[in-house]
This record gives sequence, structure tokens and C-alpha cells, in this order.
Amino acid sequence: MSGAGAPGTAGRRAAPSRGRFVNSGEGETLQPIDVGHRDYLAVVDPDTAFWSLVARDRLADAFGDGPLVRAYRKRREAFRKEMEGLRFGLTPSAVYFNPTERCNLDCAYCYIPATMRSGGEHMPAERLLRALERLRDYFARTVPPGVRPQIVFHGAEPLLNRDAVFAGIEAFGGVFRFGIQTNATLLDDAALSFLTGRGVSIGLSLDAPGRAVADRTRKDWSGQGVHAAVLDAMERLRGYDAWSVICTMTRENAGQLTRMVEFLHRREVPTCLMNVVRCTLPPSREVKPGDAAAARAFLAALDRSFELYQETGRKLVVGNFANVLLAILAPTARRLMCDLSPCGGGRAFFAVTPGGDMFPCSEFIGLPRFNGGNLFRDEVEQVLRSPAFREVTGRNVDAIDPCRRCAIRHYCGSPCPAEAHELNGAMDRPGAFCELYEEQVRYAFRLIADGRQDAFLWDGWDAGTRTTFTAPEA
Amino acid sequence: MARSTVKVAGKRKPAKKAVIASRKSCGAKGTGLSHYILMDEKAR
Repeated sequence: MSGAGAPGTAGRRAAPSRGRFVNSGEGETLQPIDVGHRDYLAVVDPDTAFWSLVARDRLADAFGDGPLVRAYRKRREAFRKEMEGLRFGLTPSAVYFNPTERCNLDCAYCYIPATMRSGGEHMPAERLLRALERLRDYFARTVPPGVRPQIVFHGAEPLLNRDAVFAGIEAFGGVFRFGIQTNATLLDDAALSFLTGRGVSIGLSLDAPGRAVADRTRKDWSGQGVHAAVLDAMERLRGYDAWSVICTMTRENAGQLTRMVEFLHRREVPTCLMNVVRCTLPPSREVKPGDAAAARAFLAALDRSFELYQETGRKLVVGNFANVLLAILAPTARRLMCDLSPCGGGRAFFAVTPGGDMFPCSEFIGLPRFNGGNLFRDEVEQVLRSPAFREVTGRNVDAIDPCRRCAIRHYCGSPCPAEAHELNGAMDRPGAFCELYEEQVRYAFRLIADGRQDAFLWDGWDAGTRTTFTAPEA
Repeated sequence: MARSTVKVAGKRKPAKKAVIASRKSCGAKGTGLSHYILMDEKAR
């Protein structure tokens, strides 16, 4: 190597070395990880999220001045900049909009406090329209022309304030892309026709294939489960392109995940999320599964999704795992912004309450200290710079112990800040689960080693991407 | 794919690559969170 210095060192006053050697001085940092594959180990540069899979009997070659290191050395600075842009350079392009505080359900793990859900306020239609005007004006200043920002009606249960929501979709359909997350109990034929007719992306919630388990975690205020209503809505959504089902993994349903995959696949659900419960508020901690048990159940469900794809040729994409794969294969192609640090809260999106209060993410709505301002009173840009938002957007996995030493920290991001703050006492603590993410990343690398990754991703996932690295010929 | 094939003693067996690596890049557009993922027709 020439004495010009390694990529990334230009401009530094006193580079301690020329970066000739891996893992010392200014050289590349490459950490080997046993991912549980018979033939390969992963070799990762944590800072840039660069990875390679190296044959176990060729591992020593990866740490010398061989083709892999030379090829990576040429791209290292570009990858560092790419991660910096992804982690620190984004501006919001979506809003999680709660049109009501109320919900007709009392689910065990909800992140909205029960007092809000039982007796909270609706946002009047006139006010909702005014809020969308304010957001339109903000995005006109910040997103590139031709890009339609996203408004996701969320809750609580947004269809309790259906007229206002539908008025907003009707009035701003050309301005925003709309989505709605609903418990499905109010999704009657007229509502479904309205939403599907306008291409609104619809998310439903269901925790298990059978009533006994599903109804334990998702039930109304009298304790009655809503399993049947969700199944009915799923049947009516069959064939619609833009819908998904969220299954929240708790200790109640962790043993049902494989059956849940079979159930969702049979019902032709295109995408699901199987997210482990967020332990932000105390009631959710009552149903927290064990970290290792959650990992075992989740990976078994992924195995089953692959078997079903092989048997039928039809995919059920488990979106949160697909996102871990994307974090490895194409970091900027992530669709979910939780498993990234800083996370997307207050950066890629923010949340608005029925009163117009703004929070970095829905997960913080029950935590008043994270209220950064009000959409009707303050400029959005000002709120994004507020101390409340900065506390969240400043949470950096590189400063969290033990994450800062973890080779896979930029595939995981140590979610979630709300959970870390409330469950573990501070922003600079990890979230509630670690092994679950470790095991997902290890699983993802095993899939890549076996060339099976595309079976777990949306068809055409890489449309619009360009290849920035390929393994050099030995 | 991670494996190519080579002809060995009349049979095709997978030849293990010494190194597997790839990376793709695009403009960052992710907006989902654990409570919701926006789906569209292209996401099938």
C-alpha cells in the first residue's frame, strides 16, 4: 500500500499509522463472528456494517493484505459515509398520527396508558384537516419534489374517529400516502371499500391463530376477545396488495409462532410483523417472554416460513426479520427504522397526538417528558430540535455498554429508546432483548451463506438499488 | 447464490466459495416501526 494513508484518514492532523494492518492503528477493524454455520464465519467491520462470510479454513487470509481487505479498503470510506448519512442525515418523511386517544380494546401490552384509551379525546375533523395542512406545508419545505410523505393513522384505535380520518384521506390523497393500523373491529365493508379504493395500506393486529390464545392478549374492556373480527377482516382483505398483520410476541403466544406462520400463509397474508413486545410501560412487562425463548420461537417460525415457500412457491414475508436481512445486504434499503441507531424516532418519522402534541415516536406518547411541542403552536423544525426529541435522536449505540463492543450493533441498533429509558432506567442502556437480535443476525448470515436470503425478502426488494461491493476473486 | 457447481468425477458438486460478500445501496426511505409497516404493491 502506498503511504497516502488509508481511506478516511485524509485531513487528520496526526494519523497514528498508515492503516496497513487489519485491527491495529488506522487499519480496518474486522471482527470474526461464529454464526453457527458449518463452513463459514462472518467477518464484520462494525463501524461501516461491512460484512463478508469467509470459509473457516481460509479465515487467516481475511486478515492479511489479501483480495478481500484490498477490495474493502477501496470502499471503506464510502461505506462509512453511507452509514453516517443513514444514522445522522435523515429528515422525517412520515408521521404516525393518532386521531384519537380512545380504544375499544384493552390489550395487555399497549403503549398508550389505559386512562387515555378509556376516556381520552378525539381530534375533531376540522382540526385533523388543519393538522394535515400544517404537515403538508412542513414537508413541502423538506422533502424532494415528487415524493409523497406518509401519514399513518395509528392508535389507540383510529377508526373510532372514522369520519375525521376518512375526511383527511379524501382531502389529502394527492399529497400523502396513507396507511392505517387498526384492530379490525370497526373495519366494516364500507370502511374497507373506502380504504382499499384509495390504496391505503392497512395493518391489522392478531397474536395467535386460535381464539384461546389470541383473545388473552387482545380483548375489549369487558374482557371479550376480538379474534373472530380480525379473521373476518382478513378474509375480506384477501387479494388486496397493501395489507399486513402484526403479531406481538409475548410469553402468551411465543409457543404459537410457528402455527401463526402457517395460519397467515394459508390466509395469503403478504407480510407480517412478528415483533417482540415492547416493555416500555409496566403492564407490558407482565407478558414479556424470556430473551432466549423468544429467539428460539422466532427462528422456528422463520424456518417454517421457508418450508412453506418451498412447498407452495408463495412467500409470507416476516417483515421485521426481512429488515434485519436488509440491514446486512443493503443498509439503506431498510423499511423499518427501529433496529438502527439512532432509531427512526424523531428522525425518519414522528408522532402526533389528538391534541397536536408531538413525540419522537408513538412509543413515547405515554411519557409526557418526551413531548417536544405542538403541531398547531410550534414549527415542526423547532420541535425536531427540542430537548425532548434530541434526547431520543441522540441515543447512540456506539455509546451504550455493552453494545459499543458488539460487532453487530448496526444490524440491531439496540432498540428501543423508550423501552431502555423506562425499563432499564436510561437512554444509554440496552433495550429488553439482546439474544433475540443476536440470533436473528446469526440466522441471517447462515441464510446468506446458503444462498437462501431471497426466500425471506419481498420480491423485487433490490429494485432501485445498486451494487457497491462484491466478493473479489481469490 | 453462495455456491457454484463444478464437475467432480462425473458428478456436479457444489464448490464452496472462499469468500461471500455483497452490498447494495439506495436512497434511504425507511419509515416503519415495530407498530406498523407501510406496504404497497411493489412490496409483494
